[in-house]
Amino acid sequence: MADQSLSGLTEQQAKEFHEQFKVTYTAFVGLAALAHLFVIAANPWW
Amino acid sequence: MSDVAKPKNPEDDWKIWLVVNPATWLMPYLFMVLGIAIAVHVVVFSVGLGW
Repeated sequence: MADQSLSGLTEQQAKEFHEQFKVTYTAFVGLAALAHLFVIAANPWW
Repeated sequence: MSDVAKPKNPEDDWKIWLVVNPATWLMPYLFMVLGIAIAVHVVVFSVGLGW
């Protein structure tokens, strides 16, 4: 029980999940940036 | 306390999943993000910046 991580994931599982997390998060930020560019083009808020 | 190994980011970012189990927390986090997004839209529309 001593060498288990706090979350219970192994190092390999954590690294594997993180790879997918980075991909999905990058897509989210990209889409959000695109949406903001559309709003700026249509109706800048400053 | 100073001899504790300092993380080096972003190389050590993955270690968050050794603390936070995504099987438990991913969906709650995503719903929090959704909540924040809805809140921001409500504020933006309420101050008249909506279409």
